[in-house]
Amino acid sequence: MLKTTVVGSYPKITEDKSAPNLRSALNRFDQKKISEEDLEKVYQETIKRVIKEQEEAGVNLITDGQIRWDDLVTPFARNIQGFEIGGLIRFFDNNVYYRRPIIKSKLGFKEYSTVEQFRFLKQNSKTKIKAVLTGPFTFAKMSQDEYYNDIDKLTLELAEILNKEAKKLEQVGAEFIQIDEPSLCSSPEKIDLVKQATGIITRDVKAKTYLYLYFGGIKDLLPGLFDFPVDGIGVDVISKPENLDLILDSMPDKEIILGCLNARNTRLEKEEELLKLFERASKKVSSSKIYISPSCGLEFLPHKSAFMKLKQMAQVVEKFNRSVGG
Amino acid sequence: MLLTTTVGSFPKPAYLVKARNLYARKKISQEELEGLERKATKEIIQLQEDVGLDILVHGEMERGDMVTYFAERLEGFEISGLVRSYGNRYYNKPIVKGRVKRISPVTLEMFQYAQNLTQKPVKGMLTGPYTICDWSFNEYFDTRRDLVLNLAEVIHQEALDLDKAGAKYIQIDEPAISTRPDELDLAIEAMKIVTQGLKAKTISHICYGDFSTIYPKILDLAVDQLDLEFANGDFANLDIFRDPPFSKEIAVGVVDVHSHVIETKEKVKNNIKKALEVFPLEKVYIDPDCGLKTRTLEEAKAKLRVMVEAVKEIKDERGIK
Repeated sequence: MLKTTVVGSYPKITEDKSAPNLRSALNRFDQKKISEEDLEKVYQETIKRVIKEQEEAGVNLITDGQIRWDDLVTPFARNIQGFEIGGLIRFFDNNVYYRRPIIKSKLGFKEYSTVEQFRFLKQNSKTKIKAVLTGPFTFAKMSQDEYYNDIDKLTLELAEILNKEAKKLEQVGAEFIQIDEPSLCSSPEKIDLVKQATGIITRDVKAKTYLYLYFGGIKDLLPGLFDFPVDGIGVDVISKPENLDLILDSMPDKEIILGCLNARNTRLEKEEELLKLFERASKKVSSSKIYISPSCGLEFLPHKSAFMKLKQMAQVVEKFNRSVGG
Repeated sequence: MLLTTTVGSFPKPAYLVKARNLYARKKISQEELEGLERKATKEIIQLQEDVGLDILVHGEMERGDMVTYFAERLEGFEISGLVRSYGNRYYNKPIVKGRVKRISPVTLEMFQYAQNLTQKPVKGMLTGPYTICDWSFNEYFDTRRDLVLNLAEVIHQEALDLDKAGAKYIQIDEPAISTRPDELDLAIEAMKIVTQGLKAKTISHICYGDFSTIYPKILDLAVDQLDLEFANGDFANLDIFRDPPFSKEIAVGVVDVHSHVIETKEKVKNNIKKALEVFPLEKVYIDPDCGLKTRTLEEAKAKLRVMVEAVKEIKDERGIK
């Protein structure tokens, strides 16, 4: 049986005029027209909607859609000592921008970043849920380092802080923890560093852990990816189609997550092309070890298209599972 | 020397924001909306005259977004729901559904209207083919190259119309060009098509990227002037352009458009001086980092006043007329 999951983010607003509108609530909060409690209510309603939509679509392992996140790094940087938040810069090769965190002094744990968010997800979902952490190497690469001037040292210090976060997430009930390291794809020479850092995050953590690589290729990361200290590896087979065979041929001991619906284009994948892909994958690897997901977070798409992709993914996977007698 | 200008967009006055909302809900007619767009354009031209800028823009009162505006007026596009670009900012991202064609000139009428309001030159404002491709969903073409080259022909037609109408400056913005260094050749190939045979001085604005990955190759872009941001990163990127030396004209962003804070005159003078250490005086233009549309009108005006005063003092100090 193939299972389905998501990578993390989900559109924060919808075309539905009757749904809670986080965009206008944030604007009104900025203009001091609504209170913090009012805004909080809209956040909560939005997250409940996002949970419900993933469950309705039939996704097996969901997130909270990262509705409270502006981007991958500032939600963490704001809760770690030593960071300031700087100017806007492009997020990988997307027409999406984020405020670049600047490291001004020695980093130190200040507050948990995602634990309360995870609790809320747990209280409001019926499906299996996962927590997502931004990997320390990607975090370091997306920041401006004015203190360490040493990416290795910075990465390892961030990993220690994220280990604390991971342990707390486990304590409040996280059974699945995903670590996003898209930056590793373009820095294969840093694979040993990222492996060491991943080992630090997953130290004393019994939850299932996944490393997720998107926006890039894994060719230059093999065979090193093979023995990463995680239970599964996620790859984007849209940005780099050759990732499919590379991952299927090289991970005998791990679960794999195949990002095979393009989360950066509205064109909806056809049933036949997905079925063909699933068949190819399950010939090489037991389908019980495979998750199907979008190629990256769904927030690059307008809401309608994101929801359609989720439904298409779950429906075609269900059809595939039935066809193989699952 | 040290002519002052802006990147293109200005904040829309409250009455226009309201009218655009009403129009979207079909509560007012297109004629009513266009009348208010012209009124606002007139005010923006007047604002720039008051502040004392040298090269004006029409302010883009009729545009919501620099890519969607074109997509809405070209055959081959549909418009999607909202997607987030950063923070709490969203835009309607176009979807390419077929071959792209021009139905009629897109920007000509507003350019002519604005240019007739002033003796100073007004820039013709276009979005480049690479950026239109990069900021759209592509459901039609097999490759990005096919789409970019199709768009290059379309934008070239538009540029020719502005040129014929007497535009002294035509700006073709390519903010996405620093996104993928491996596609820089494609963007350069496309710009050659866009600017071929133009009499006007051509400019391209590029922002939010790591310039070190596209320099010096970007000097092959077929425009006379590049317009780059510097203030947002506190001029940390300036060193990139020392070696090899910059061979085009350059418009230097000296005020940060993403901050409410109005820079002090000293700060802006300091920024200009930093730029003049790297770029030859006779090739330097001065402007904000990016379009001003995310600031309030008051903030935009205050930032521009400081900028113009700073330039004036530097000119006085150096005996430049």
